[in-house]
Amino acid sequence: MLAYVLRRVLLLVPTFVAITFIGFAIIHLAPGDPVELFLSGGLAAGQTGISTQRLADIEKAKAQLRHELGLDRPIPVQYLHWVGRLVRADLGTSLKDRQPVWDKIKPRLPVTITIAGISLLIMYAFAIPLGIYSAVRPNSRLDQFLTAAIFMQYSVPSFWLGVLLIVYFCGGDYFAWFPPGGLRSLEYSSDWSLGRRLGDFSYHLVLPIFVTTLGSYTELSRYMRSAMLENARQDFIRTARAKGVPERSVILKHMLRNSLIAMVTIVAGVLPSLIGGSVIIEKMFSIPGIGQLGYQAVLARDYPVVLALFATSSFLTLVGILLADLALAVVDPRISFGKAKT
Amino acid sequence: MLRVQVVRALACTWVLLACDGPRESKTSAPAADEAAAPSAPGAAPENAGTPVRGDWLVIHSLSDPENLNPLTSNDAGASQVLSWIFPTLVRIDPNTLALEPLFARELPQVSADHLTYTYRLRDDITFSDGVPLTAEDVVFTLKAIRHPIVNAAPQRNYFNSVADAVVVDPHTVRISLGEVYFLNDWQLGLIGPIPRHYYDPDNLLGGTSVAELNAWDELEPAKKQRAERFAKHFNESFNRSPMGAGALVLEDPARDYVTGEKIELRHRNGYFAPGQPWLGDPWVDRVVFRVINDFDAALAARKAGAVDFMGLRPVQYLKQTNDPRFEEQSVKHKDRAGSYTYLGWNQKRAIFQDKRVRQALSHLVDKRNVCDKLLLGLADPVESPIYPGRPEFNSALAPWSFDPAKAKSLLAEAGWSDTDGDGILDKAVDGARVPLRFEIVSNSGNDDRRNLGLVVVDEFKRAGIDVSFRAIDWSILLEKVKSFDYDAVILGWTNSGTIPPDLYQIWHSSQAVPGGSNHISFKNAEVDGLLEAYRVEFDPAKRKAMYDRVQEILYDEQPYTWVYAPKSLTAYDRRFQGVTWYPTGGTQETEWWVPVASQKYR
Amino acid sequence: MSAGERVWQGIRRQRRAVFGMAVIGLLALLAVFADFVANDKPYYIELEGESYYPVLIDYQVWVGARQWPAPLANQRFSQLAERAERVLWPPIPYSAAVPDISGDVFEPPSRRHWLGTDGLGRDVAAGLVHGIRISLTIGLVVVAIQASIGVLLGGLAGYYGGPVDLALSRLFEAMLGIPTFFLIITVAAVFKPSIYLIMVILGLTGWVGIARLIRSEFLRVRAMDYVAAAQALGASDARIMLRHILPNAIAPVLVSMSFGVASAILTESGLSFLGIGVPAHLVTWGSILAVAQSNTTAWWLAVFPGAAIFVTVTAYNLLGDGLRDALDPRQQGT
Repeated sequence: MLAYVLRRVLLLVPTFVAITFIGFAIIHLAPGDPVELFLSGGLAAGQTGISTQRLADIEKAKAQLRHELGLDRPIPVQYLHWVGRLVRADLGTSLKDRQPVWDKIKPRLPVTITIAGISLLIMYAFAIPLGIYSAVRPNSRLDQFLTAAIFMQYSVPSFWLGVLLIVYFCGGDYFAWFPPGGLRSLEYSSDWSLGRRLGDFSYHLVLPIFVTTLGSYTELSRYMRSAMLENARQDFIRTARAKGVPERSVILKHMLRNSLIAMVTIVAGVLPSLIGGSVIIEKMFSIPGIGQLGYQAVLARDYPVVLALFATSSFLTLVGILLADLALAVVDPRISFGKAKT
Repeated sequence: MLRVQVVRALACTWVLLACDGPRESKTSAPAADEAAAPSAPGAAPENAGTPVRGDWLVIHSLSDPENLNPLTSNDAGASQVLSWIFPTLVRIDPNTLALEPLFARELPQVSADHLTYTYRLRDDITFSDGVPLTAEDVVFTLKAIRHPIVNAAPQRNYFNSVADAVVVDPHTVRISLGEVYFLNDWQLGLIGPIPRHYYDPDNLLGGTSVAELNAWDELEPAKKQRAERFAKHFNESFNRSPMGAGALVLEDPARDYVTGEKIELRHRNGYFAPGQPWLGDPWVDRVVFRVINDFDAALAARKAGAVDFMGLRPVQYLKQTNDPRFEEQSVKHKDRAGSYTYLGWNQKRAIFQDKRVRQALSHLVDKRNVCDKLLLGLADPVESPIYPGRPEFNSALAPWSFDPAKAKSLLAEAGWSDTDGDGILDKAVDGARVPLRFEIVSNSGNDDRRNLGLVVVDEFKRAGIDVSFRAIDWSILLEKVKSFDYDAVILGWTNSGTIPPDLYQIWHSSQAVPGGSNHISFKNAEVDGLLEAYRVEFDPAKRKAMYDRVQEILYDEQPYTWVYAPKSLTAYDRRFQGVTWYPTGGTQETEWWVPVASQKYR
Repeated sequence: MSAGERVWQGIRRQRRAVFGMAVIGLLALLAVFADFVANDKPYYIELEGESYYPVLIDYQVWVGARQWPAPLANQRFSQLAERAERVLWPPIPYSAAVPDISGDVFEPPSRRHWLGTDGLGRDVAAGLVHGIRISLTIGLVVVAIQASIGVLLGGLAGYYGGPVDLALSRLFEAMLGIPTFFLIITVAAVFKPSIYLIMVILGLTGWVGIARLIRSEFLRVRAMDYVAAAQALGASDARIMLRHILPNAIAPVLVSMSFGVASAILTESGLSFLGIGVPAHLVTWGSILAVAQSNTTAWWLAVFPGAAIFVTVTAYNLLGDGLRDALDPRQQGT
């Protein structure tokens, strides 16, 4: 077991290096010069612009800054430096405001993870019963209906839904049921009781979580349905039924448990798409999470931030995949720890 | 708004606008004729009663300011915040546009040769930590700006002629300059002093003068080393914790500066001019900048009362803010914004070197219709780079007509005709027929510019010009524009209404170099001469005469097709009293107050 | 019964799949004939005694077979029509992309403009019809790229196993670990906007699901007797893979491809919505939606393109799900 874990962890290293090098190369080969942007003030989506008068001075400042940031070195060298710092848990400093990158990510990461995590829980809460029902009564009228309904929800573009929700439910001309964005009320203060703070927080997260959840749980419930159907055909289920085990117990004890294992493994697949999708949702709802940070950093060519996010998110995904595989290996006796299997 | 402009005016004299979509308070500066009339449709409430202290003002901010170091920060969002924290030596009176003393006791004494400015400071100014502001702080501010390693290159440009600055006595500063320039009164006066004891606690720049910093390469090693240590610390350590002498303070950055949410400035006692909003002391207890990245979400926030003051987009102004409920709680205001959008013709390209081609292209742009339809009537056609409310503006220029027939004949005159019947004009150049073909570029993410591009492309095509439009990422566009690597471009410049214009940077032939602001490579000897003479002319009437002529030439040459100046559209909560829209430049939020009965926050 | 017939029988029994296919077929038809459905050029115009067929001329000019006749060159046909003796217009007599600010902008749906107009006075109905081309093309091209890469690499990994499998599996893992949407945004934002670039990025980033599927199918099928038999007969690896294994492993890939089309269409409209990646002059469903975000009073700009995306994506998803049920031999009894 330990050898298996070790082997998997060691195999992660080259994978991780490959991913970060790809990211590094793309962002550094992309046209656009961060120093130019930095000195001309046209940061983030280009809110302001350039102002030049005496060029020699600007050019000198640029060369100086480029040197200071190490951008005048060849890309492989820069990459090695970056990795070197990464090993020492140093993600570098943002080109934009010279804050350590980690300081920028730290407050935002929990926000995005919270939204993704809660969405994930809600997804499972809906997907599992739906999947069970569809699998127990496949092709029944309700199963047909649920299938159709689920696919419709799956096909709704989340950004479209978000725009409609903001227009109709966030105090525009229709209903002011929810706040139009942000994470906390203006009056928010740290003196509030924990309950009140939590309440305020959840009130702000209702719509973003709703939009995040809607598109994804449908996928899960389809997985659940097929996993259940798959299990239903297994010999041990037939045996159980033949032995006269009550149907209810067959479904809950035998089929469900095995299907849940499959569900666990796909967390790893859903999580990255949740974090990736956060760009649009966070932009729409003005949520200071890592999706938005990343989007702005890309536009501003803030290399260290982009790379750090690239690395963080791929790291999370890889670890997710690993944990899911390990969990599967622990739970499922059919998987041996010897040679890696499918 | 005026406050914003005053402090950052130096940095903003000429700013190439990436984005004129969101027209926020920072760009507004009204024209005399409009601001005098009550704002439509709901007239501003009567300013009843005596102003009282209290309540908060919540201002919408479209994005986070990235950096609150007053010298190294470069984004408009930050300048909106910083202007409250760092008042200046002199201020611009919003009614007369004259310079008036603020931190200075009186206007500076200027030597006869216009090369030495002496400022005497008030002795009752303190920074927000209680330490008095002295001449040393002003000199230190100039040192930090002139320091070549401090990341303040854009600001440093405006102080290039500062040769030295010395402390004469604790409240007197003498600044000597290397060249005569009539705008020095403004540039020097609008310095916002920063505290030496806070930004340079070890006094690393103490023994080094401005003159020595100017001659960086000859600086002795020991001083250089200290100066380098200072710069590193200065560049990195103060980006979230500004401290100045203003009436508002960012008390506790950890609590009051929440990334992606808000920046909260609190009123302090101890500002030198309590109860005098014209000297920068606001009536409200707090000014909160609420970050909402989306305009519709921001409008929803206004409707829900979570934001008090915000910029509106034309669609919002026209269509989403007309219900009685909105009128009941909000006042809308419309001003001319201090910026214009233009089509620039790169005169390094052979086709645009012929004046007749540029004139013809201008005749193909239906400015009136663009303003009425694309900008929903909330923009004005423009013909000149000067802000129309300024005395220097040449009001004799007639609107350039939309006239496809005339364009056709001008193009024919210039030798362009469709000889091969493919529907595209062509001309013999060096023996070969070349088609009239070019590409217009602009930055992505700006809907107004994209729409303008698509509309003019269609009109140009009808005239037989093979033209296309492309929106590209801002940073890439910058590189292309700066290296003359484009045909035509849609961009915008700001033009301030509060400070006299100086067209040198954009129109002088010396600036037509890679990286210069004369990015279309316009070269005209007469204009060059006038621009140079203007800079050293201290008589406003003579300056006006010179610029009238410059505008005439530019009008005739059409190096740009000036298209439109957008309006600045805002909405604010009706509970605020004392909201005055000045004929010369926006409003002063310091004067806003709320009667006790309607105060909303504590 | 051949595999193809079996699949077809399976699909026909799935009403959802049939419905999805019907919708897709209709959309494809509209896409092919978009120029005849919505065009600012008439089918036929009679001007000063001469007859022209502008829609057809347009095609000829496009392939370079001829030039526009002088009276029509660079003209607005809506203006020509006023002095024409006879005109025959397509059902939607507007172009998708040509701005028209002579009249009102942001016109709500009316008899003139069935689905209203956008901020440049462009007809939304015309935009939707021509947008089908872009959406369907993106969906198909992206999935074609994904399937080719996925089948090739997945097949190699599954067939050869051992070190090949180990190395390729690391690659699959790396692809899974790459934050795809983030990567897409980065590339789309910084390079020259182009619809082809979008197709290539989406294609290059999304193939790993198919590759993993194919790999496991190959692993399964490879162990079967007939493969061993073919090997014993001396068939080449390539032949075994192509002729013997692939046909038996392709079923799940079809399902995955169908979902892939749906997701590519969604991603593209998301990018258009963010305003990155798609050139400014192209009208896509996502770009119409983006206008709706800046003018929320123009509900028709949100509802119609949103519905178009929804219907198309639903069609592909239903097809995919139907295919899955149809192709799964183990589910036939249920």
